[in-house]
Amino acid sequence: MRLSILLAALLSIVSFWAAEAADTQPFERGSWAKLREAHAGQPTVIHFWGLTCGPCLVELPHWGELQAARPDLRLVLIAADPLPQDPDRLAAMLAKAGLDKTESWSFTDRFYERLRYEIDPAWAGELPRTVMIDRNGKATVLPGVADLAQVRGWLDAQSKSH
Amino acid sequence: MRLLFPLAALVLFASAAAAQHQHGKPGSAPEAFTAAPAFAPDGTLWLVRPMVDRIVVTRSTDLGKTFTSPVTVTPEPMNLDWGPDARARIAVDPKGGLIVTFGTFQDKNFNGRAYFARSSDGGASFTRPRPITADTTSQRFEVAGIDPTGRVFAAWLDKRNIAKAGAAGRAYPGAALAYAWEDGDAGFGDTSIALDNTCECCRLGLAFAGAGRPAVVFRNIFPGSVRDHGVITFRDATTPGPVRRVSVDDWKIEACPHHGPAMAIAPDGSYHVAWFTDGAARKGLFYARADSADAPYSQPRALSAADRQPARPYLLANGQALHLVWKEFDGTKVAVRWQVSHDSGRQWSAARTVAETEDASDHPLLVADKQRTYLSWLTKVEGYRLIPLGDQP
Repeated sequence: MRLSILLAALLSIVSFWAAEAADTQPFERGSWAKLREAHAGQPTVIHFWGLTCGPCLVELPHWGELQAARPDLRLVLIAADPLPQDPDRLAAMLAKAGLDKTESWSFTDRFYERLRYEIDPAWAGELPRTVMIDRNGKATVLPGVADLAQVRGWLDAQSKSH
Repeated sequence: MRLLFPLAALVLFASAAAAQHQHGKPGSAPEAFTAAPAFAPDGTLWLVRPMVDRIVVTRSTDLGKTFTSPVTVTPEPMNLDWGPDARARIAVDPKGGLIVTFGTFQDKNFNGRAYFARSSDGGASFTRPRPITADTTSQRFEVAGIDPTGRVFAAWLDKRNIAKAGAAGRAYPGAALAYAWEDGDAGFGDTSIALDNTCECCRLGLAFAGAGRPAVVFRNIFPGSVRDHGVITFRDATTPGPVRRVSVDDWKIEACPHHGPAMAIAPDGSYHVAWFTDGAARKGLFYARADSADAPYSQPRALSAADRQPARPYLLANGQALHLVWKEFDGTKVAVRWQVSHDSGRQWSAARTVAETEDASDHPLLVADKQRTYLSWLTKVEGYRLIPLGDQP
């Protein structure tokens, strides 16, 4: 009996680890197309950030607040650091910003030219960057720190046009 | 007892993983992937590379075909700066003495420390790395160059004035452009600030307008958080001149471009700058020239189409030839494109691809010996390559 409790405890530790590790998905060649397909037809906000980007880390908690305030915000986070970052540190930063439940991806291929090219050939990698995609697939790019009032306005427009 | 075993194994695994973190094992912490060259007066090619947590130097006497076994510059493991625009560098003084510069991270907030190490025995050994400056706040993007008299000048982006501004209740955007001159065997002399509030995350470009007259190109923060480029030329060794704006790209951004400029000064005293921007006025990679330090810059010339991700320019003046390289991406291959000018940058040869790769790569660099100019490029698939460039395209 005690044995099975211990075993269950052990298994829960292992599965907890597995869940943690699965939180942020590796963003590789082809990931962009998969991501777009998964959200096709639904207004989606994709926010590119990075651990190596100071302004991103200041901005991130504001996205956490917006996410909490707006259940209609379908948010996807992509850590687009030019060098793949430690998943534990990414997870810790997302948790701190209240974004640990949000769909999250992280660049894991050092050939970042290729990853960026799939997303937008003209994007040279500057962060932060936000792309709002409406249900028809029309993208609006907000380079730099996003004006969240603009994001809220966009969300309002999406629900009206529904 | 049998159950304790897997538990113990888990604990062991966790501590092993933690240990790997600290030692920069591949897959945990990012690593720098750079190689920086310098030719010695005797034609030896020196190369400095970060290897996970140490800095090594190798040399080649057959133009990069073979290299000697590496000599380690850092006696202990260090948390090296792996930022995409940072790099360890090497320079050779007129006597054949070597100076290596590199940066480390002090913490997880990217506060850096810039170091240098010297070799006076032909690279057989190096002095223990010493900080370039005494201040411990943060230094990054250090660059060292040797002026025409053999004196070593170093410049970097320094955050010491942020704390001071904060204490006085003032905001301090960006970092400061700091500099120091080497002072004999004692190391670098006092640090001075040439300019406050530059952009904080881009490499610097360095050239010399004459003895004791360095010129530094950098991404500046102009009023309204516009991150366009400026050049400062020193009037003398301790007097930085005014900022000369290279172009009004109007890139207003509160973000980290990680794209620094390149500069060369030709024998006729003309200035040549190449840079990346995503400004309201123009987007992509550009080149401009000025007749002198005080002359206005020409209209920027686009080096490629913005949707080919043109980036990482490098300029080198070698005699009457001015060489320019950059990299761009066509969806499959990264290509290094090359142009040469023989009339002080007024007319350029058609751009030509001189090297390609299909995976990750360092920035393309240029280096020259007495005869020729070479592309120096480290790529994941091909390794290090030194590719001779013609004087004519």
